[in-house]
Amino acid sequence: MGTELGVYKTCVSARSTSKEILKKAQDGGIVTQLFAYALDEGIIDGAIVAGPGPEPWRPMPMVALTSEELMASRGTRYNLSPNVALIKEVTRSYGLDKVGIVGTPCQMQAVRKGQLYPAGLRDVPDKIALAIGIFCMENFPYQSIKQLVEDHAGMALPAVKKMEIGKGKFWVYGERGQVVTLPLKVTHKYEQPGCHVCLDYVANLADVSTGSVGSPDGWSTVFVRSKKGDDIWSKAMAAGCFETKPIEQVKPGLELVSKLANEKISKNQKTVESRATFGVNKALRNPYVSPK
Amino acid sequence: MSKVVEISPTTRHEGHSKLVLKVNDEGIIERGDWLSITPVRGVEKLAIGKTMDQVPKIASRVCGICPIAHTLAGIEAMEGSIRCEIPEDAKLLRVILQAANRLHSIALHNILILPDFYIPGTETKINPFTPEEPVRSVAKRIQRIREIGQTIGEIAGGEAVHPSNPRVGGMYKACSERAVYKMYDLAKEGLTLAHQQMEFMLAVLNNMKKRDWTDVAGKQIPLPKTLGYHDLGYMASHPMYASSNLDEIPGWDPDRWTDVRPWDWYMGEVEVSLADPSYPIGGTSPVGTKANPQMEACTGVPLYDGAPVEVGPRARLATYKNFTEKGTWAQHVARQLEYTDCCYTMINALDAYNPSGKVLADCIPQGDGSMGWAANEAPRGCDVHLAKVKDGRVLWYEMLVPTTWNFPTCSRALTGAPWQVAELIVRGYDPCVSCATHMIVVDEDKRIVAQKLIQ
Ligand code: SF4
Repeated sequence: MGTELGVYKTCVSARSTSKEILKKAQDGGIVTQLFAYALDEGIIDGAIVAGPGPEPWRPMPMVALTSEELMASRGTRYNLSPNVALIKEVTRSYGLDKVGIVGTPCQMQAVRKGQLYPAGLRDVPDKIALAIGIFCMENFPYQSIKQLVEDHAGMALPAVKKMEIGKGKFWVYGERGQVVTLPLKVTHKYEQPGCHVCLDYVANLADVSTGSVGSPDGWSTVFVRSKKGDDIWSKAMAAGCFETKPIEQVKPGLELVSKLANEKISKNQKTVESRATFGVNKALRNPYVSPK
Repeated sequence: MSKVVEISPTTRHEGHSKLVLKVNDEGIIERGDWLSITPVRGVEKLAIGKTMDQVPKIASRVCGICPIAHTLAGIEAMEGSIRCEIPEDAKLLRVILQAANRLHSIALHNILILPDFYIPGTETKINPFTPEEPVRSVAKRIQRIREIGQTIGEIAGGEAVHPSNPRVGGMYKACSERAVYKMYDLAKEGLTLAHQQMEFMLAVLNNMKKRDWTDVAGKQIPLPKTLGYHDLGYMASHPMYASSNLDEIPGWDPDRWTDVRPWDWYMGEVEVSLADPSYPIGGTSPVGTKANPQMEACTGVPLYDGAPVEVGPRARLATYKNFTEKGTWAQHVARQLEYTDCCYTMINALDAYNPSGKVLADCIPQGDGSMGWAANEAPRGCDVHLAKVKDGRVLWYEMLVPTTWNFPTCSRALTGAPWQVAELIVRGYDPCVSCATHMIVVDEDKRIVAQKLIQ
């Protein structure tokens, strides 16, 4: 395919140089570090992130105006956080002019679509200052995560320290040190169905995208994509925010990222195509083509 | 022998209206009717049975220039009916929204009227779209003022056009400290520009007042000193914001309001007998055209103390600041004088506003069917909404919008003017004809098919 990783200027393996950030970061602390830098430098004046929600491990979109607030949003929550729901409000009652936003590939698509076709999004397009995308294979509703952790892994949600999908398994780490792994096969039926038509793995439309795949534990794979992203990334590098290694020198490297991206896209492309003949002489809608 | 001339449509104001004018041999208007011919949307009738939260959002869509007025008047009428007092900080956000919208609206109206006026001391009329100075800088200033008004409105109100933040019981969102500073900076910038723009407009108006004639399609049309005078009264409920039945001393009285139908007030059928193909742009209606203002008018005629009244900036200044000038120029002057008020109102409200304050009432009653009303001082004047809410649903809804009040008043004010400047008189009211059109249902033949709906 060759386009599975999207357009990018550079790709590196990186992690934040801040011990504080790394303490609770999912991987290399890229999102938290880059937003913290951009906030300090006035490149953004706030960022929409997945903050802590009302229930354990349920994210809630929030607007972080300080590094402390960014810290509270570290870590992956494997269920939906509708970050784009705040995209207009930040320019209204929050009074932001330069907005940062983090999200999954589909959320990056929403941001870009909103910028080009701002239906009901007056004054939003020019205020997106930094969009950071995170790799995403699939997502889950909150109820799914509850069931996976409480029923399948047999752990109480509030006592979970970290969750991770990697190396073919769903990992649940307890505060008390226990580790439970579930084969991914178990998780499939809990995926949100909308993810099955998603053709983007590494947030192709973000300014900077990042994820764990391709880099060793504690490190992240980073794609620097747009001019804006490149500019901010270079400045953050010069300011000593990140440690990096050329992606070619790390294992498993881009090869694995490409492989997983291709798998996701071809599997989901099939789902998209099967929708055309879903009924008897009737199709289900395909959002990638204009209606006849 | 009087003749009838018709200007249809009128231009450089919001909505769709026309002028049917009986003139004498000199072309001076003996009796004029200015009426809405905007199709009726019937918002008040479709509101019945809907929730009190939904109706003000629908009412907002009556007009995109002053949606703030309809949103706030609608919501406050509901609050008046259910007897809900909103928190102080919610009120302050509404006041900021109100003033921001008025600022933008005055500036927009500058664009609409400037082509009627001359660059002081010259015989050149002002074309706001010219790239040449001095007009270019004025146009840029107007656009910046509008941008400031719209941006502040967007922050305080959620959206500049059809504000999303106001709700029954207060506001959805409090504004952050950063948002407050942003609005403050903008209001300060706006204040300076509003001062400059007001001075400019007053100079233009003073120059016009001194003129004896104006050019319309290459002809010199005399300008009477009493242009736009009428001897009807005026009505205003508050100098800047609004009044409602919850106020200790309400600024409006529903018992003094009556509504009559257009056929009690407008002319019956007439036939156009005078036409001027050179009237810009496209000429007047051809001779032989039939007009019937009684039947064609798409508005009711609200009366206060049994007579039409003028509402708007001049009415506000006359009511609250002893402003005594009359007529078209005075209306324009009064409107410019409100420019800086808008900015001071925002600055004062921002000073008083507490970003961590509550913006939603603890208790929102669902209503027992009592009547409530709110009179919002829209840019164009007093916008009264009346409502009865029971169990959260609207039982009855009525909107008495500024331009509806002004239609019959302005019609009378046409008398004595050369017909070629009738539109100048109309524009003195900054009409918003969409706002004024919401009640009578007519069929394709313009016959009223639902007159019983008019109460
Ligand atoms: S798989 Fe695609 S659609 Fe699902 S959450 Fe991830 S990016 Fe969004």
